Amino acid sequence: MRTSPGGRVAAAGGVALRLLVAGLFLLPLLWVASASLRAPGLPPPRGVEWIPDPVSLDAWSRLLTLAPVGRALVLSVVVAAIVVPVTILVSSLAGFAIGRMGAPARRTLLGLAVVLLLVPAPALWLTRFLLYRTAGIIDTPLVLLLPAAFGLSPVFVLLYAWGFRRVPTELIEQARMDGAGPFRAWWSVAFPLVLPTTVAVGVLAFVATWGDAVTPLLYLRSDELTTLPLAIRTLQTLDRSDWPILMAGALLLALPAIALFGIAQRRFLADDRIAETFGRRG
Amino acid sequence: MPDPGRVAALRDPWRRGPWLMLAPWLVGSLLLVGLPALLTLLLSLTAYDGISAPVFTGFDAYRIVARDPLAGRALENTLLFLVAAVPLRIIGALGLALLLERPRRGTGTARVAAWIPAVIPDVAAALVWLWIFNPLLGPVNLLLGALGLPTPGWLADPETARIPFVVMAAAGLGEGFVVLLAALKGIPPEIRSAAALDGAGRVATFRAITLPFLVPWLVVLSIRDTVVALQWTLIPALVMTGGDPYYSTLFLPQAIREEAFDRFRYGPGSALIVLLALVAAAVSVGILLLARGRGVTDAD
Amino acid sequence: MPVDRPSRARRAALLATLVLAALALAAPLPVRGDRSISFMAWGDPAELTAWSSLVESFRTAQPGIDVELIQVADQSDYRQRLGADLAAGTPADVVLVNYRRMAGFAWRGLLLPLADRLRASEMMDEGAFWPGLLDAYRWRGTLQCIPQNIASLVVYYNRDLLRAAGIADPADDWTWDDLLAMAKALTADTDGDGRTDHFGLGVEPSLMRVAPFVWQHGGEVVNDPLRPNRLGLEGSLAREAVEWFVALQTVHHVVPDAVEEAAEPSEDRFLRGTTALFLNSRRGVPTYRAAAGFDWDVAPLPRDATAANVLHSDGFCIPAATRDADAAWAFVEHATTPEAQAVVAGTGRTVPSLRAVAESDAFLDPSLAPARSRVWLDAIPTIRTFPILPGWVDIEELADEEIERAFYGQVSVEEAIRQAAERTAPFFLAGGDA
Repeated sequence: MRTSPGGRVAAAGGVALRLLVAGLFLLPLLWVASASLRAPGLPPPRGVEWIPDPVSLDAWSRLLTLAPVGRALVLSVVVAAIVVPVTILVSSLAGFAIGRMGAPARRTLLGLAVVLLLVPAPALWLTRFLLYRTAGIIDTPLVLLLPAAFGLSPVFVLLYAWGFRRVPTELIEQARMDGAGPFRAWWSVAFPLVLPTTVAVGVLAFVATWGDAVTPLLYLRSDELTTLPLAIRTLQTLDRSDWPILMAGALLLALPAIALFGIAQRRFLADDRIAETFGRRG
Repeated sequence: MPDPGRVAALRDPWRRGPWLMLAPWLVGSLLLVGLPALLTLLLSLTAYDGISAPVFTGFDAYRIVARDPLAGRALENTLLFLVAAVPLRIIGALGLALLLERPRRGTGTARVAAWIPAVIPDVAAALVWLWIFNPLLGPVNLLLGALGLPTPGWLADPETARIPFVVMAAAGLGEGFVVLLAALKGIPPEIRSAAALDGAGRVATFRAITLPFLVPWLVVLSIRDTVVALQWTLIPALVMTGGDPYYSTLFLPQAIREEAFDRFRYGPGSALIVLLALVAAAVSVGILLLARGRGVTDAD
Repeated sequence: MPVDRPSRARRAALLATLVLAALALAAPLPVRGDRSISFMAWGDPAELTAWSSLVESFRTAQPGIDVELIQVADQSDYRQRLGADLAAGTPADVVLVNYRRMAGFAWRGLLLPLADRLRASEMMDEGAFWPGLLDAYRWRGTLQCIPQNIASLVVYYNRDLLRAAGIADPADDWTWDDLLAMAKALTADTDGDGRTDHFGLGVEPSLMRVAPFVWQHGGEVVNDPLRPNRLGLEGSLAREAVEWFVALQTVHHVVPDAVEEAAEPSEDRFLRGTTALFLNSRRGVPTYRAAAGFDWDVAPLPRDATAANVLHSDGFCIPAATRDADAAWAFVEHATTPEAQAVVAGTGRTVPSLRAVAESDAFLDPSLAPARSRVWLDAIPTIRTFPILPGWVDIEELADEEIERAFYGQVSVEEAIRQAAERTAPFFLAGGDA
């Protein structure tokens, strides 16, 4: 079958289809990258200019002087390094727990998660501000970290709830028979089996934290507490002739998220890896 | 490690444990989401300018919103956008996840590529789409023109101005793609290979095995995408159109921002937010009804 | 249960990260000095640099007061932030506000009246400002903010294009007809593909841009400048002015149409040398200095029955909820010294509100384009302000939509004016004498 002409055509078609998808979705990134290599301060190009003339790194060097990129980058990395693991911890614990509940409690909790999911972000802008102010934590790093306490988004809890339901109950029961407590069963038995969910939640949580410009805008005020998306946002007011700098900033903001997923999908979402994970439970 | 004599004593942790595990999320959510959301709901029943104490005015704020033609326009635009964008995003994400599920040549690159539009910052992405739909110089119209087809004014024309928003939202399907990819990876492989051995074709395997397994994920994603899509338009609209031409791209988030923060009318502003939540709730109920009885859900 | 070693190590590492994260959550909070104020401003990076140097110089001058600069780049973000801050009662101590928005804050009692402080000030003198400018910041007779600049509309022009067409620079007393004739002469389809490649003129269709033409023609933007309760564009003189303005696009086609403008904004066309004349306030100067690869200058607005222009100005305001009004005022005083104004004027972006600074080289530096910067100062006696109304920004936004529709030929001028007047009417009442 492997050598049949039809199979080969289908395989070649498959490769072509994947490359087409890749090309289409890569287009915006390429445009941003090439636009960031145009010298700032020139009249904006008419239409698109794939290879700027001259190719220049001025936008990148001016980016570093215009926005407090260095300091903002450090803070953003620290925040992500804290928020992502805590989010995984909180939402996977909650997701696991929901799976262990009896049907009525489980349904109520899933329903609650869906209702929380329906709360639009603008509903929180002002009133959360009032709560933070009452708690006296406006302009402290806590406002960047607190969202992790509720798992950033109920979606993650729901994803874990579905993920853990796929873990055969016998495995958990066996751990229980072996004398493991629920935390141990979660950590040693269930958590490793939902690796793909953890990867997805981790990547999504990273993106949500990494790109969030509203939280720092509303709840922080000190310069020292500028995060990267907010620093990049200041570039938005640049004149059109200086958009290469904005593009450089956007690329700088996008690259870590792209790299993270590139590594994650290669390491964790490859087939052999999954087979290994599932093989382990035998 | 396990001491059979202590098993009985450990029974208690299994009753208490789940609630302990749930506590951080439950407490955090109720405090940081539930409470502020409730406050917003209360604000929508008041006249509040942000300065003087809120005055309870019953449903006045809702009456103001109902009489405001721009609020109606924003609601209509938002619904039109929602109806087109959400299905495109979900179907696109599912298609891509199925296409790029198994590692073959080019899969890694294609997976990362599919992810990229979702992580390019809104502002930059909006500028890219502004160019793609440029009525004279953009690739879409150059292609249409070369094929001898009509070239719409896109963002400059009230009739077509919302289409680039739908396409841009659809392109940002990376998050749904990642979730569905993970969901596919989580289906025990032996189940699907068993079905394949039984001689079921690809389509049959998908309908009988894969899809039912994915239904819970698709439900969560559709609801999430509905909520996200409802709010997502804010930055792209600011960058691309500012609501122009003549309110054809005025969506609810911009209306909310202007009402509450520019005009200090938190009462009607909050009423618009509640309206937004109601739209999300209505769509979600629809999704849940649609998914009922299909696939492996919590009912089993 | 079988657990292999590397995986256990990995999990231990993950666990350690989680514990560290939990500890970091409980990390101590930063502590602030006693006498500290904050100054919130928007602006592009060039302006933000100027604000930073202003803050630095204040720290040197007043070491006892710690001032913190809050920069919000985008104006719409700025308003969202200011709105949330004011509602929470924790605004910055000094904020930058446009005079058209000032009344929206003032009528709610959000701003600290500054009249007494200005009178008592040893550093500031009312007579040092351009005459009449302070009136734009008075709400019910009481001064609310200290103006930072006094800009108005001018016509930027590409001298190279004019020379190539054998046209002389616009004169100081040129007229509407001169403008139209020049714009027509400079509009051309250079490659003969049936589409205009060079436009004579670029202008944004908005009330801000139309207003000076209405006044020049003898019309009024509002029905009664002293007690306005409706737009005045329905008056016949005002309507004629709007019709003339709209005809620039719909009849004479010297301005890009909606699709052409979306494809390439007029300001880009001006910068690339394919639009000869461009209407803008002072804000274009830093960009054109950096990006225009041709000889450019500015001319006054052409005149009609009379000369008239519209004020563009931002002021320093102190929110009533400030924690330290004296320190905030000290900062405003410092920001309005000639030295500080010269620093900000150095960005090229502002026309200084202090007459002495505006007439010095800090603003008129002959070595920097535009050579005719004096046109901004010459226009000052003809500058008019929009009415100081709490709902004015809403009125402008609604009117802009209607003017834009007429400008791009989607409705008649008459219909646009009628719609604008009807839709804006309720906003004249908001915050009135209620």
